[in-house]
Amino acid sequence: MKTTIRLACIALFALSFQAASQSNMVFIKGGSYTPLYGRDSMQVAIEDFYMDTYPVTNEAYVAFIQAYPEWKRSRVIKLFADGNYLRKWATDKTLGTEQSATAAITGISWFAANAYCECQGKRLPSIDEWEYVAMANESLPDARFTENYNAYILSWYEKPHTSNNDVGSTFKNYWGVYDLHGLVWEWTSDFNSVLISGESRKDVDNDANLFCGKAAIGANDLMNYAAFMRYAIRSSLKARYTMNNLGFRCVKNAND
Amino acid sequence: MKILNTTGAIALFATSLLLTSCGNDNAQSKVDASTIKVTGTMEAELTSPPFVPAPVGDRDAKKLIVNMEILEEEGTMADGVTYVYWTFGGTVPGSFIRTRVGDEVEFTLSNHPENKLPHNIDLHAVTGPGGGAASSFVAPGHSKTFSFKTLNPGLYVYHCATAPVGMHIANGMYGLILVEPKGGLPKVDKEYYIMQGDFYTKGENGEPGLQTFDMKKAVDEDADYVVFNGKVGALTGDNAITANVGETVRLYVGNGGPNLTSSFHVIGEIFDNVHVEGGDLINKNVQTTSIPAGGAAIVEFKVDVPGTFIIVDHAIFRAFNKGALGMLKVKGSEKANLYSGVIQEGIYNPEGSTLQSMPGEEVVETKTQNKTLAESIASGKLIYTNTCFACHQANGEGIASAFPPLAESDYLNADLERSINIVLHGKTGKITVNGKKYNSVMTKQTLTNEEVADVLTYVYNSWGNNKTHVKVSDVINANSGH
Amino acid sequence: MACEGEKTYDDTGACPVCHMDLLTTASLTPELSEIGHSESSIFNLTSQWHTEEGEKILLEELKGQTLVMVMIYTTCKAACPRLVADMRRIEELVAKEGSDDVRYVLISIDPETDNPERLKAFAIENSMNGPQWTFLQGTIHSVRELANVLAVKYKQISPMDFSHSNIISVFNAEGILVHQQEGLGVDNEVIVQQIIKTSST
Repeated sequence: MKTTIRLACIALFALSFQAASQSNMVFIKGGSYTPLYGRDSMQVAIEDFYMDTYPVTNEAYVAFIQAYPEWKRSRVIKLFADGNYLRKWATDKTLGTEQSATAAITGISWFAANAYCECQGKRLPSIDEWEYVAMANESLPDARFTENYNAYILSWYEKPHTSNNDVGSTFKNYWGVYDLHGLVWEWTSDFNSVLISGESRKDVDNDANLFCGKAAIGANDLMNYAAFMRYAIRSSLKARYTMNNLGFRCVKNAND
Repeated sequence: MKILNTTGAIALFATSLLLTSCGNDNAQSKVDASTIKVTGTMEAELTSPPFVPAPVGDRDAKKLIVNMEILEEEGTMADGVTYVYWTFGGTVPGSFIRTRVGDEVEFTLSNHPENKLPHNIDLHAVTGPGGGAASSFVAPGHSKTFSFKTLNPGLYVYHCATAPVGMHIANGMYGLILVEPKGGLPKVDKEYYIMQGDFYTKGENGEPGLQTFDMKKAVDEDADYVVFNGKVGALTGDNAITANVGETVRLYVGNGGPNLTSSFHVIGEIFDNVHVEGGDLINKNVQTTSIPAGGAAIVEFKVDVPGTFIIVDHAIFRAFNKGALGMLKVKGSEKANLYSGVIQEGIYNPEGSTLQSMPGEEVVETKTQNKTLAESIASGKLIYTNTCFACHQANGEGIASAFPPLAESDYLNADLERSINIVLHGKTGKITVNGKKYNSVMTKQTLTNEEVADVLTYVYNSWGNNKTHVKVSDVINANSGH
Repeated sequence: MACEGEKTYDDTGACPVCHMDLLTTASLTPELSEIGHSESSIFNLTSQWHTEEGEKILLEELKGQTLVMVMIYTTCKAACPRLVADMRRIEELVAKEGSDDVRYVLISIDPETDNPERLKAFAIENSMNGPQWTFLQGTIHSVRELANVLAVKYKQISPMDFSHSNIISVFNAEGILVHQQEGLGVDNEVIVQQIIKTSST
């Protein structure tokens, strides 16, 4: 059943804009790195993949809804989205008057983001993939230890209302990807692998009863507050949640 | 006869002492606050600083509904300087919550949908995990409700406890919750809410424009602004707090930190009463009181003469160079016999201090045990922690009706070979240990013979068991005999 | 509506009193989803699973019984033995009360290792071989999706080791989540009562 739906999606989409959006991906060469939350100095290996250059836009999502009406605000089921799904839109099919068509889509749940990527033959990035690309600045693939990199991100956290800025309004990073920082938070496929309880004093002294497996909670570089925030946001989310400051982009395996 | 008389006198004396102390105890009989019954529901009145809600007076303990909203918004720190504050209720400090001991507080924390970050709340008045933080972690656009009963009277701090905690507090996420005793605090004429905080900005003190938080300075405890109620001038000029000559004033003073302790002082006034650290202990005739970061105090005094009284953190550079300065303006007729003249301000030169250190003490431990046994036990302890601890628990106490104890276990001590085989092959079915029945499943453990020997040696040498030293050969024999 | 209660309008736009957007009534009435299940039902997930008997099933084939679900993996050393013991204890207490229309479902978060053979061996080893016990193997994707519905968090930290939250979830016969118990060694009395209550309606 799933394959039929997927074929239907692709068929309907292909005519409209799929070709255009496929070309808006960049190639990311795989490698390995140590993420913030990992086992001591455990390196994570990333395979080659393609990533969307920009987060999915409002207008792209409008097209998605027209092709796949299950995801209209009036029809989406409670299992897959909470009450704030597309809350800012004026109607099922049109954006709010204050929203820009080329701003990132927000107010969508993980299930919705997942379905959108699947419809395009893509998928959501894993946390490891997302962080791997996001640790770059304009010129370096790994800029995490440069002062400006962290300062830029931390200052974004304090800047209100960036969610209505157009995609592409922040910097282009080493890989050619825009807006991983400075625009909106983004869904990942395994956001629910962040095992912080939310009570962060307790996370230091981890409670083996709530989460078994002790090594998963250590943070490598406690000064990396910028990344800390992203993990905190991920751990506060549930898959059906939607947020005004949370969007997504898709990725595709390179070796398929 | 003489001896009897002295003994009698002593006995009389002792009894009289007992009787008087009994009398004192009756005056303060202790009620277990967890048993206080609530009658009815009411919605809490939350106020913005420097004002506080109406006193609880005589009311019964109630179910108290508190709705608190979190807002991240830009505000003014000083002239020409702005800062993005993270707030409870739109203010720094956050809204004042006033409760009575025994209230059942139903607390709903809402995170405004335009906010970027998740938050939660830890109220120092809560008896419960994290002070409520574990139950209130909430993403933007969502809300969470939890409830707690106020068990202890006092003045308590609340703050956000989401990682990184220091940053959330440093951006202004703190406030005060008052738990009044039965009957309420004694009545006074004026009550105000003041909370000190230190702020760390990228630019230096006074640098204009939107300032962002500076993590390095915060870690170094190098504050740019130390202020009352969230900004420079929150309590000066037109914003000063006021009173009339002859009135009694009570200040609920908190310190959100994140780092600095306050040396709270009102220039030209002496605190008649200080509820030290916000608790039951009352100190009298105090000039300056210490309020720790994450702590509070209640100070009370009567204003006898008119004038402007400067409220400061007496770590004085903070008052005059970083903003820890407020004003209490008192109106009324002069009382020349009490005071005549002009308020004087003095600058204090801090004197150098010499550091003293105690000579180090060294404790030399001598190991006299048999090395091999000790090594086995040490290694066995590690294995136990990784493999057995989850079910049999840290001290071998097991879990009632589910997993049998290993501590002082008759079943364990009776038969070494059986114990080895259980570790190697698992066990199901009914057994009786120390008189209690168990009918559970223990899966076989994938351990090497040496690991089995070590972990069993650890178990046998702990918690009152029979101190067998289990060798690898024992394990091999037990296994082959199967 | 926030201001005018149940009042409805014929045109789209905004409420004349409070200026909030009007929503279509369709979005307010509880509806069945496209495939005929209630909106919040877990049976709306259309992924395919293998049981320990090697059968292929869809989740909706479990409809009609109270379901008690937990996520584990067979090579787990620390929490899963406890979770498994909790499940057995709950099953025992529920069966004692006479509620037998309950199915206990254990889902592996390590679908690459835990195939039907391994799940069957695990079931036997842990005395969970009766008809009331079902073990499920999915795919990496379907397991992540189901975990998201159950709000279970997990992360692979080494080839044989996962870190995961410990939650037991109870679903009614329509597949709607009615109760969750978090943590180990928690008093099982509350969840047992919930299961009995759910299976008697």
